[in-house]
Amino acid sequence: MGFEELEHTADLRLRVRGATLDEVFAEAGRAIFREMYGPCKDGGVEQTIELEAENLEALLFDYLSELLFITDVENVVFCTFDVNIQGTRLTAVLRGEPFDPDRHAGGTLIKGVSYSGLEIRRDKDGYVVEIIFDV
Amino acid sequence: MLAGINRVGDLEWEVPIGYVPGMRVPGRFFLSEALSETLEEGAVRQVANVATMPGIVKHSLAMPDIHWGYGFPIGGVAAFDMTEGVISPGGVGFDINCGVRLITTPLAEADIAGRKRELIERLFGAIPTGVGAKSALRVSNKDLNTIMVEGARWAVERGFGTEADLVRCEAEGAISGADPDAVSSKARQRGVPQMGTLGAGNHFLEVQVVREILDPAAAEVFGLKEGQVCFMVHCGSRGLGHQVATDHLRTLEAGLTKYRIRLPDRQLACAPIDSPEGRGYYGGMVCAANYAWANRQVIMHEARNVFAKLFGIEYDGMRLVYDVAHNVAKFERHEVDGKLTEVCVHRKGATRAFGPKSPEIPHEYTAIGQPVIIPGSMGTSSYLLRGTTTAMQKTWGSTCHGAGRVLSRSKVKKEVRGKDVREHLAGEGILVRAHSDAAIAEEAPEAYKPSHEVVRVVHEVGLSAIVARLEPLGVIKG
Repeated sequence: MGFEELEHTADLRLRVRGATLDEVFAEAGRAIFREMYGPCKDGGVEQTIELEAENLEALLFDYLSELLFITDVENVVFCTFDVNIQGTRLTAVLRGEPFDPDRHAGGTLIKGVSYSGLEIRRDKDGYVVEIIFDV
Repeated sequence: MLAGINRVGDLEWEVPIGYVPGMRVPGRFFLSEALSETLEEGAVRQVANVATMPGIVKHSLAMPDIHWGYGFPIGGVAAFDMTEGVISPGGVGFDINCGVRLITTPLAEADIAGRKRELIERLFGAIPTGVGAKSALRVSNKDLNTIMVEGARWAVERGFGTEADLVRCEAEGAISGADPDAVSSKARQRGVPQMGTLGAGNHFLEVQVVREILDPAAAEVFGLKEGQVCFMVHCGSRGLGHQVATDHLRTLEAGLTKYRIRLPDRQLACAPIDSPEGRGYYGGMVCAANYAWANRQVIMHEARNVFAKLFGIEYDGMRLVYDVAHNVAKFERHEVDGKLTEVCVHRKGATRAFGPKSPEIPHEYTAIGQPVIIPGSMGTSSYLLRGTTTAMQKTWGSTCHGAGRVLSRSKVKKEVRGKDVREHLAGEGILVRAHSDAAIAEEAPEAYKPSHEVVRVVHEVGLSAIVARLEPLGVIKG
């Protein structure tokens, strides 16, 4: 399903779609890493995260914020995201490679995930959400 | 101008109560006809949304570099009553105390002419920039506690600068009220390796020349001469600040029902100033703000060393003019209904511009007001202005913070190529050094409003007064 960039003057606004919630979350993860680092390949780095929140939007906020935290402190770039959501609990297996300044340093730094207009909606193709990131 | 907005002065506009439901005060912004052509309805709605927040005093304000952000508009300013009012990370942003400092050198443009490329390369080598940049500086967890409380002073005591630098920072380089316990372990982990790094996006270190002096008396007090080489540093609190904002935004959002606060935008999540959540955010935000002052101090130190070595000039001959924050919430005393009253002023993409005689500004600047530093976009002029009494009366002592974007990043990347921008600027004698041409394209001059028009508006409204215009010679970018 995938993601597309929407018009926003100052920040980064993305529309993310998925047939399932798992897919929306996976695509949202892929989108932010694409923006920050460009292409990435599976280079043997693997990590699993587990999160729980009071609702799906809070879960999405926590999940994306967690990804920003992990990449910042562990110098890893993820490219595949296997997400499993049960209710408002999430397990995600993240795969990627170590940060390589020669290939990854030219992207857009994402500072944070905004709550502005953050609402996961159902449509005929599955799920859709628009997210504004501070860049 | 957009429908539903009233003109209340030559360059002054009002967003009436009722523009969105629940507004407690009107909105007010400052814009010329030319700038209003690019005003987004979304930005005006954000001004109106801020006006719905509990305890807001007088107006929800926006400066002439207003544009659509999230939560507050960029260029947004609002003051809140200390008992009825709230504090919100949506009024500060993720990059807490993103700010700018300006430093003069004893060099003239001709002194660096043949060595500009070398200077820019050396600065790029000395200061870590870009996504994923880590510092060579060893900072311990204990250091981090000191940094979060003492700000720029920590850096000066480590030998990164001089005592005189501290006086020439807003809040003398550290706001009081830091609460290191309100900074999570995650934020600390991000802060430790990033002290002294520039970051990415619109952050930069630019070498400039003073091209035009418009207020000679003030320029003399600020230490600026025509033809003089200066440098400007623009960056913030890095991952530590981003994490503090993220952590507290989450707590405040979850706590909205507790305080029965209803908001049109959840990014405006807030809590009463004197509540556990409000105090927690303030204490953590202050830690991040102080980290940012230390960060800019370290970066300035590295740049001074590069200049000193390359041109054989004295370290102490490079004078910090001032350092201003443009993403911060602070407790300040302002006149409300004729009485000096403490309020919580939020500035998101806005610069403090305190006028003459303000007790908050350095003694040497008391007679003319604080220096206000307005960076242009890459390749365009930056300005040095001074704070005014009018700003104290109209905008809680605030003015614009930059040129303000008109084109989104995606649009500008479609319209221009970074390589072309770099080559075009080089043709004008402006060297740009970055990790990638894509990063240059995003920040191309075409993406921004003309800085001279934004500055003209604040000058004419009287929110600050132009002192000097600086032109870029070279820039290192994240």
